[in-house]
Amino acid sequence: MALGRFLLKRGIQGVLVVWGVVTAVFLLRFITPGDPVTFVAPLDASAELRAQIAAELGLDQPLYVQYADYVVGLLQGDMGYSYLRGTEASTIVFARVPATVELAVAATVVAVVIAIPLGVISATRRREPADYGATLFSLVGISTPNFWLGIMLILVLSVNFGLFPTSRRPIGFFETFAFLVTVENGLAVPMDVGAFLDGMRTWLWHIALPAVTLGTYFTALITRLTRSGMIEELGQPYVRAARAKGLPESLIQYKHALQNTLIPIVTVLGLQLGTLIGGAVITEAVFSWPGLGTLVIDSINVRDWPLIQGSLIVIGTGFVLINIFVDALYAYLNPRVVH
Amino acid sequence: MSHGRLSNDRGGLRGIVRGGSGGESPVISPRTLRNLRSELSRSLLAKFGIAILAVILFTAVFAPLLAPHDPTDQNLDNANVPPLGFTATENQTTSETVDGEVQIVEEEVVVNTTAEHPLGTDSLGRDVLSRTMFGARTSLLVGLFGTAIAVVLGVTVGITAGYYGGRVDDALMRFADVMLAFPSLVLAIALIGLWGQASLRIPDPLVAFGIASAEMPEDIVLPGTVIVVVALVNWVWFARVARGEALSVRDQEYVKAARSMGGSDLHVILRHVLPNSLTPILVLATIQIAAIILLESSLSFLGFSGAQLSWGFDIAQGRQYLSSSWWIATVPGLAIVAAVVGINLIGDWLRDALDPGIEGQGGAP
Amino acid sequence: MTDLLRVRDLSTRFFTEEGQINAVENVSFTVEAGSVLGVVGESGSGKSVTGLSLIDLVESPGKITSGEVWYNNADLAERVEGDRPEAVDGDFVDLRRLSEAERRSLRGSAFSMIFQDPMSSFNPSITVGEQIAEAAEVQRRASANPRSTRSRTQGYGLGRMLLDGALPDRSYTSEESWDRAVELLERVGIPDPAERAEEYPHQFSGGMLQRAMIAQALAGDPDLLVADEPTTALDVTIQAQILDLLADLQETMEMSVVLITHNLGVIARVADRVSVMYAGEVVERGTLTDVFDRPVHPYTKGLLGSVPDIDRPGERLEPIAGNVPDLVDANMPDRCYFADRCPKAMTDCLTRLPEYEVSDSHRARCVLAEREYSEADAVPAERLARPTDGGATGDDGSTASDESAAPDAEVSDD
Repeated sequence: MALGRFLLKRGIQGVLVVWGVVTAVFLLRFITPGDPVTFVAPLDASAELRAQIAAELGLDQPLYVQYADYVVGLLQGDMGYSYLRGTEASTIVFARVPATVELAVAATVVAVVIAIPLGVISATRRREPADYGATLFSLVGISTPNFWLGIMLILVLSVNFGLFPTSRRPIGFFETFAFLVTVENGLAVPMDVGAFLDGMRTWLWHIALPAVTLGTYFTALITRLTRSGMIEELGQPYVRAARAKGLPESLIQYKHALQNTLIPIVTVLGLQLGTLIGGAVITEAVFSWPGLGTLVIDSINVRDWPLIQGSLIVIGTGFVLINIFVDALYAYLNPRVVH
Repeated sequence: MSHGRLSNDRGGLRGIVRGGSGGESPVISPRTLRNLRSELSRSLLAKFGIAILAVILFTAVFAPLLAPHDPTDQNLDNANVPPLGFTATENQTTSETVDGEVQIVEEEVVVNTTAEHPLGTDSLGRDVLSRTMFGARTSLLVGLFGTAIAVVLGVTVGITAGYYGGRVDDALMRFADVMLAFPSLVLAIALIGLWGQASLRIPDPLVAFGIASAEMPEDIVLPGTVIVVVALVNWVWFARVARGEALSVRDQEYVKAARSMGGSDLHVILRHVLPNSLTPILVLATIQIAAIILLESSLSFLGFSGAQLSWGFDIAQGRQYLSSSWWIATVPGLAIVAAVVGINLIGDWLRDALDPGIEGQGGAP
Repeated sequence: MTDLLRVRDLSTRFFTEEGQINAVENVSFTVEAGSVLGVVGESGSGKSVTGLSLIDLVESPGKITSGEVWYNNADLAERVEGDRPEAVDGDFVDLRRLSEAERRSLRGSAFSMIFQDPMSSFNPSITVGEQIAEAAEVQRRASANPRSTRSRTQGYGLGRMLLDGALPDRSYTSEESWDRAVELLERVGIPDPAERAEEYPHQFSGGMLQRAMIAQALAGDPDLLVADEPTTALDVTIQAQILDLLADLQETMEMSVVLITHNLGVIARVADRVSVMYAGEVVERGTLTDVFDRPVHPYTKGLLGSVPDIDRPGERLEPIAGNVPDLVDANMPDRCYFADRCPKAMTDCLTRLPEYEVSDSHRARCVLAEREYSEADAVPAERLARPTDGGATGDDGSTASDESAAPDAEVSDD
């Protein structure tokens, strides 16, 4: 099976899953007690006004019509209007995407960059202080709730030492590039590099603690998996064969054993994506990070259905996309999948 | 959409589901017990984990006897008292009348520690130690009941799917994939946030029979919605593992023999399939208890669980007083870490001793 | 004929939770240049560990605890003489007294090894050509800078790995070594070597992969090839082809081969000299004719007696009663290890025995080399832990040790 066909198959499956998510999110409203009109209408609204509001929101239609309308609307990028803010739900939802993506990517980078070398060192220096340290770290790391970790980081690094800001995201990663170039009279004019670097530093400054908070669980998990995987791989016959042909140990460890260790790690990480996204939600809550997570929580509190549905669908779709990416990565790492 | 890559044919971490665990075996064979014991005697960490969990269980069960105060008892005169051995200052604003004019005086007051509150008090003057002891009840109740429901649900669905195969299997597993497509915390927030929080109050027998002081809370609060929801978002893991075991056992010779001799499906499942799934389910359940405790604390932290006496809830309370009273958020957090470390250590012990071939899942928020 | 390797009193032990295991005990033998030494024994006799010990690949918890491995190499002797005169004797160098790095640098170039299961001995996620090219590249780098053992590790570490995005598919090897890999594949008889080199191990058949492993082992032009059960995992017809290939390469490349096997037919087919191992010891060694036609040790006789003979088809095979001892130090009896199973045990056998010289080329660890068996000296049965009748009975009368003690020999007169 060629890689292209493999991805196509995964893509079709992904579309089906997204469809399932859309349906589930749509139905969620109907298995939830409470009439959405209550949250929109004034407290003393008359029966006519309530009926009018229901008609405006399309709530007087039969279920299948509402469903069809909803799906057709979604395909055109229409998630309806936010009950409370009156603006298009899709605008609000997509404006929150960059913050969450930045946070998740930063956390993953932190996790991979720290965990893989740590796991390898731990596996190749078994029963040495480095191994005990890494094992202890990973045990505590997978056992610590990240909201509490975030609070403790704020307590120590922000409140006590004033090293990091406690919250907010004043600037987005890509927004900093706006300092580099601006368009004047149809011409691109290079701008202040200093301002760009300042913007970058501000961004890094603010994302550091949230990224570490979200990344710690994954750092610990990947360290653990890398360690046990490396120990298992280094005991495989092919490693002995590689030694027999005189390969240097560093090559055996990093080129041979590590690549085979990464294969199952990618699998497990694929299954942990939900944890990453869930973790992002709560990390956002701790750091007042303006992402999808805080949007979901705020919208649920006020029953703003279009926003709830829109952000849940975007989260579910994001999950499916990352999952396809993980599958592709897995196929790339493990030639036996496609050949 | 992911079980295509779940089996890693060359061992390794083996993905999530491994093929059959061999022949017909009694539920707990003497060999299993031997493995458990030898692994325990070898592993200091396993003993440590059991000790931690034993202490926490003991505390949770006998909280009304052990706690120095009623955890809900407020005393504003005694608020924000630091733990023993620490000092804290507080800005106090007082007004006094000097020569007929009202003057507002702001001064820094040293708050004294007292032996009555060894871990200090929170912003409402409630005893942090007592609250942490009672909080163990909520965490363990949700962890144990939530896991139990998830096991029953997951194993039923998984075994049915794996045993009958075909369309039933396909449909159930597609459904499971959609479930997995949703981050459990987000799903839990959505379900609880929208369904509301129902809880069950059970009279605490220790108080009811007068064994513990009557000042202690009369009821144990069982957060019903939370328990159901954490089970609903976690059962898929059990379904996958149970399905894998059922699939592999179904084609074993002795199962075929039992079926050909006219054994009913129910009999074959109870007699052969279920016992074979027990080991991996047990290990998975241990890991899931830890994951569910973390999930419950996250929900409480966000204010979605409705629990008023929970570690996560206390952390959320203490977060607002971080700059002046760090202990309010710190102490319950340490309790969560201790509980989860203890359970994870036990999970590692079971996995090393029983080698059920599952690895790495669970998922903490 | 000159000697390539003289092994003296080599012992390898494993330190496990069950106790110390004496996998190889005071083993001595000689490998002549350009010849094939067959090492034969049942599973658990220590023959594979002997092979690993030769090229210093014993892994934890195992350890070579004593012995000398003298390797005939004038260049190496000259190089080592200055630093470590005690490790040099004429042209011979005692590998046990070299540093770890020096010993490692001999792997691939002086010694290499092929293993029983080719499928698991190749990395499943790297192409076969790449893996052979690595073996060639190591030697290329070493010969470019022969004095430095570090030269071969240069340019590869964590930093490089991260830069290569964790997938350095051809980053270590060079065009040159890749060409060499293709050439080697052709040499071992793989059709379309350039295309096959790009394939992954799972795309090869077992026989083809074993050829590829041989190609990999030849990459450094070794003086000695240790082949550990090279044909066991293969079909009978393929086995013969692989043996022919090995014999052909051994002749044309003038290397020596230590062929480790439980299969007497394989030994008879290619070996010049034979060492028979039992319970970690060499119990008999000599030329092929010494051992096969004039065996002295009752164990050797028993082994040969358990092979079906095509000339005498109706004859009953005689398996040796009992099992190989478990090699745990604490359980090893303080007498000839074979005495309990030996049909000719005498009172002399109740002590540990030395190697006796049968002839110039022939040694045996058995008193029968010195004297005839006599009923009068036979050990009373109660002093031995005799296996009960009806074949093998293990300690607990069950478990996997129930296999017949005879190596599963195969007819090879095809």
